[in-house]
Amino acid sequence: MSEMAPAAAAAPRGATRFDRFFFDWFPAESLGALRLYFGIGLALYVLTQYPQLFILDAFGPQFHYTVPIWYFHALGIERNVPWLAWPVAFATLAACLCFAFGKWTRPAIVAIIIGIFILKGMRDSFSGDVHHREVPIFALLILFFFSKCGRTFGIDARRKGWPAIAAWESSWPIRAMQVYIAMFYFWALMAKLRVSGLFWFEHGGRIQETLIARALRDGFAADGHVVNLSLAWELSQKPDLVFVFGAGVFLFELFFPLILFVRDWRLRLVMLIGATIFHFANFLLMNVQFYFYPFVFVCFFDMARVHGWLKRRLRLGPAVAATG
Amino acid sequence: MTRGGARLFIIGFFAIFFGAILLRVDYFPLSWVPMYGFREESDRLTVAVGDLDRRDRGFAALRANGERTYLSRRDLNIPPANFRRLYQERAFGEGPPQHLRERARLIAFNRWWYETLIGPDPAIGQDYPRDILRSANATFGYGPNDPRRFVQLEAHLDFATFTRAQLDSGDLTTPFRERRQVVIGDTGTRVIRHRIGS
Repeated sequence: MSEMAPAAAAAPRGATRFDRFFFDWFPAESLGALRLYFGIGLALYVLTQYPQLFILDAFGPQFHYTVPIWYFHALGIERNVPWLAWPVAFATLAACLCFAFGKWTRPAIVAIIIGIFILKGMRDSFSGDVHHREVPIFALLILFFFSKCGRTFGIDARRKGWPAIAAWESSWPIRAMQVYIAMFYFWALMAKLRVSGLFWFEHGGRIQETLIARALRDGFAADGHVVNLSLAWELSQKPDLVFVFGAGVFLFELFFPLILFVRDWRLRLVMLIGATIFHFANFLLMNVQFYFYPFVFVCFFDMARVHGWLKRRLRLGPAVAATG
Repeated sequence: MTRGGARLFIIGFFAIFFGAILLRVDYFPLSWVPMYGFREESDRLTVAVGDLDRRDRGFAALRANGERTYLSRRDLNIPPANFRRLYQERAFGEGPPQHLRERARLIAFNRWWYETLIGPDPAIGQDYPRDILRSANATFGYGPNDPRRFVQLEAHLDFATFTRAQLDSGDLTTPFRERRQVVIGDTGTRVIRHRIGS
């Protein structure tokens, strides 16, 4: 299954490398299928990002933010209105599902972005820690917005009988998403080198420091063990092993962009499983809440083919059961 | 959109998102992806050792009318993780990570635009402990003449300091430990330190 076989036959004569990279990679139906799976994943991602807003007393005190996020500050939003999280979250989830199933796709994207701005602003303004978990999501939604993702594989497309889009119209947004996701890791490495140099990796490096800080932030229990993140505490006492992990992070972030040129879906799958393990390990060891972020990796596959494969499997299941 | 239009869009899209990286912009939705990228050069590491019971009780608070009480996360109606940051970090003068790294090792051009368009370094100019006191009073609508207003907040926290040799050997059993008591008042913030254990 080499679902990424470039639609080279469709490339016009004299196409540049730029064109071949962005325009000739995916068939026409891929973009709509990607929208479906990305949208469902995004709904779940939104659910994982803001649960702390829903444990507050909806009609209790309205906390006056200590460091409001820049756009709250610009808009003069100074206090948290706890009940507001509920309608905004419901509207955002509904918009995610509209987006996923291709109903009012562009307005849905705008609604998702506004919802994320509000929920993120609420979460990050209490104490001023601005998280980066929504940064790549925003960039990918912008690409969806300016693409023709709503014109295939959705409710509006079927009801209104829109004609199919061309392969290049499907291909460039997906490839741009891939570039953004792959480079996000690369830029994370560059950021480390820009402000800390190789010192970031020396001995246990920043990883050991973060493991210690995270493990101790809830203190020790009566039995002398750390209350939370005991695995982090154990690992922080093995600096050589932490250094190996740090070296692994260096290599992973440096070479991850190579995935953009890998045509074999199996190799891509291996690389993405590696990235997923990276995010899960960060969550388990340091409580870094990027654990559901790997849902964006659907961008690295032809989801129309995956969708067809899934449908065949689901149809085959009962048939096999009946004959068995 | 034609192919030519798509080409221009892609170039513009990456010019904005990757341009922000070169300029070290870290204002959502743009970012130079610096999460956990900053490691301060130091021969020791000092970290907070939390105490869930104390934190759950909250800040020891004194009102203008002399009443003593506690101010917990439930009183302030904020999530536990955010209260932890207020209690264990801001109260002791530690700002959010994006403030700490914003001006670290900037090249001249980036320093220029930050100082021209954004202003002074937030890690230097901001009084985080006073922000908590101001926020607490504003949350409950206590004005400057209200006898119920909070005039003092106190937090207690242990800190452990590990030397470079301890970190490099992985022997984290005997750090230098210190109990700090921060007293945030209308007129300023004091930190009282007591050495504990080894």
